[in-house]
Amino acid sequence: MIYALAVPGPIEDVEELRVLQWHGEPGTRFAAGELIVELETHKAVVEVRASGPGVLRAILCPAGDWQAVGRTLALIGDDDAEPLPPPDAAGARFDVAFEVT
Amino acid sequence: MSTERVAKVFFAEAIARALGEAMARDPRVVILGQDVGRFGGAYREFAGLHARFGDERVRDMPVAEASMVGVGVGAAAAGLRPLVSITYMDFVMLGLDPLVNYGAKLRYKTGGQLTAPVVVKCTAGAKGQGVAHSQSLESWLAGVAGLKVVAPSTPADAYGLMVAALADGGPVVYVDHKRLFPTAGELADAPAPVPIGRAIVRRPGRDVTIATHSYMCRVADAAADRLAADGISCEIVDLRTLWPLDVATVAASVARTGALVTLEEGQLACGIGSEVAFRVREEVGRMRVVRLGAARAPVSGNPRLEAATLPRPDDVAAAVRRLLDAKADER
Amino acid sequence: MDRRALLASMLAIRAFEEALARHPDAGFQLFSSGEEAVAVGVCAALGPHDQLLSSGRSIGPALARGLDPGVVMAELLGRATGPCKGKGGRGHLAQPAAGFFGAHAVVGGNLTIAAGVALAMRMRRTGGIVACIFGDGACGSGALHETLNIAALWKLPLLLVCDDNGWSISTPREAALAARSPADLAAPFGIRAASVDGMDVIAVRDAATALAAHVRGGAGPAFLACDAERFSTHSTATRETRSREAMEAARARCPIRRLAQSMRDEGELREDALATLERDAADAAASALRFAERSPPTDIDEIRRDVD
Repeated sequence: MIYALAVPGPIEDVEELRVLQWHGEPGTRFAAGELIVELETHKAVVEVRASGPGVLRAILCPAGDWQAVGRTLALIGDDDAEPLPPPDAAGARFDVAFEVT
Repeated sequence: MSTERVAKVFFAEAIARALGEAMARDPRVVILGQDVGRFGGAYREFAGLHARFGDERVRDMPVAEASMVGVGVGAAAAGLRPLVSITYMDFVMLGLDPLVNYGAKLRYKTGGQLTAPVVVKCTAGAKGQGVAHSQSLESWLAGVAGLKVVAPSTPADAYGLMVAALADGGPVVYVDHKRLFPTAGELADAPAPVPIGRAIVRRPGRDVTIATHSYMCRVADAAADRLAADGISCEIVDLRTLWPLDVATVAASVARTGALVTLEEGQLACGIGSEVAFRVREEVGRMRVVRLGAARAPVSGNPRLEAATLPRPDDVAAAVRRLLDAKADER
Repeated sequence: MDRRALLASMLAIRAFEEALARHPDAGFQLFSSGEEAVAVGVCAALGPHDQLLSSGRSIGPALARGLDPGVVMAELLGRATGPCKGKGGRGHLAQPAAGFFGAHAVVGGNLTIAAGVALAMRMRRTGGIVACIFGDGACGSGALHETLNIAALWKLPLLLVCDDNGWSISTPREAALAARSPADLAAPFGIRAASVDGMDVIAVRDAATALAAHVRGGAGPAFLACDAERFSTHSTATRETRSREAMEAARARCPIRRLAQSMRDEGELREDALATLERDAADAAASALRFAERSPPTDIDEIRRDVD
């Protein structure tokens, strides 16, 4: 299954995020707790970590790009073989934990 | 133009960039205020500057705004170019004696021998912090001979007006807003200058002119979106400078639309809108006009009360509809 | 500065104010007579790179600092030849090029400003210090507390001088200040302080010189409290509140008579020399007045100039 990676909203006082750094590329496997991407809000850096295992399949917002809270940043799959749907079509959310630093 | 490099930045980053460039160019530029040093400013608007320029030029001060402003004004008079950071505009009141009685009058009272090229940056606006941490007092300061007052609403203007303010003979009061810091916008690598005293048409329109500034530009924009769905086209003029006021740009807009709404977060009595409306009327003659602003009350930190005290997009849209529905010869 | 020069400087201030007081266009004035020794003694400790700020009681400080009496008179009488083009008057008299950063008529209003000037002068390495003269009336103000605090924290090159004439118009100092003496206000901030007889110009000069040396050495600010007397009302717009006896007691401490007597006692001044010096001072004051009277009044168009 292909999931959408997004920072779930609403987050009080945060509208948009800047992508700082991806800690992987298409094909990278993540275990639970591993850091996938660092984002920046107007106040702080946010570390987005996987809640469970997954494979990063497509980065939709490369480092330096901006994205609104709740919108898709990347596609995550259970494996790296399943064909990718069109970007807007990814259904379920990939569970993440995020930590504001 | 098509090769111009542009990046999207947070509002605070635009301010930090303007200051960093000015401080690198000119050793006289210093920053004074609360939490400006390692903390990087309450809104991160001074992030990185203490690391680059050190304790001498980025100075944390005690929570004592009278001395923040007084030291800044005195240092400016004696050859530095300080930026004084007032975290809450409410507390600029503590510094009004050095700012108004000395700084604003210094060039005049000394017959030009001394000037005070100081920027006093104040963060205005209501965001759930209560009656003494919510005020928008820019209309008070716009009435002081000798002061200039600017209020950016976008990161590009936050940068441009900071550059202009730091280069000005001063004193300049630079008013930003708590609710603008979460926002982002484009800032070019080589931005065009933003002069003090020049308004800008943010959103062209045909049916009504909304003259506004700071965070209320975004409220106006949201109202304009709602009205557009009903076929009403709003022209939004972002004043950007509250003194000296660019009456010509607003008047040219009202000459086209025939109707003016002034919109501010501050109080209506003796507010920016009063000045804009009267001055525009002097230029264009008869026009339909209404002023919008806060209800005449302190702004409570209780979120429901705060929201009901201040103009919201629906309030602006309703006011526009009433204004346009009124017969042409009614005022 | 030698004693003859100190005496001449005080005489010049006294004569200047007497000439001004007689003039029909004198307007609203605050006189320094009685308090000349404070201004003259402090200025004797200052050099060409230093800056002096004062309260609205500016005539003594400005003349002691060496401003030309003619242009000072012109400023007070609203003439274009004043250093502020006649736009500041006594309350805002200034000539920074001559080391007089200026007067400010708000009680306590020049204190945080002086701290800022000191910061700038240090950062720009001008080599000078800042002296700020203020009255005991400013001792209750938050501005003084904030200035003491920031000056001590940042070790600013600032000499604060309290010209303590014991009165805030009609309120005696004891009713306006809980601290026993103004110099006590410096102690909580670790600021070096001294108290002197403000009617003894030699004592003021010596104390100011010592404290200025401390400040020049980079050790931080200093505070000099001068116990003085004002010989007239607070201002030309206020009524006298003191009894005749109190006024006589104040005048008995005249700093000019005191120095002259001391110089006579030590053979430094001949019996009739004081009268000659007083006449010279009166002539100089008259000359200053003539210069001012012959100067054109400030142009009305100046209203719109120097605003922004």
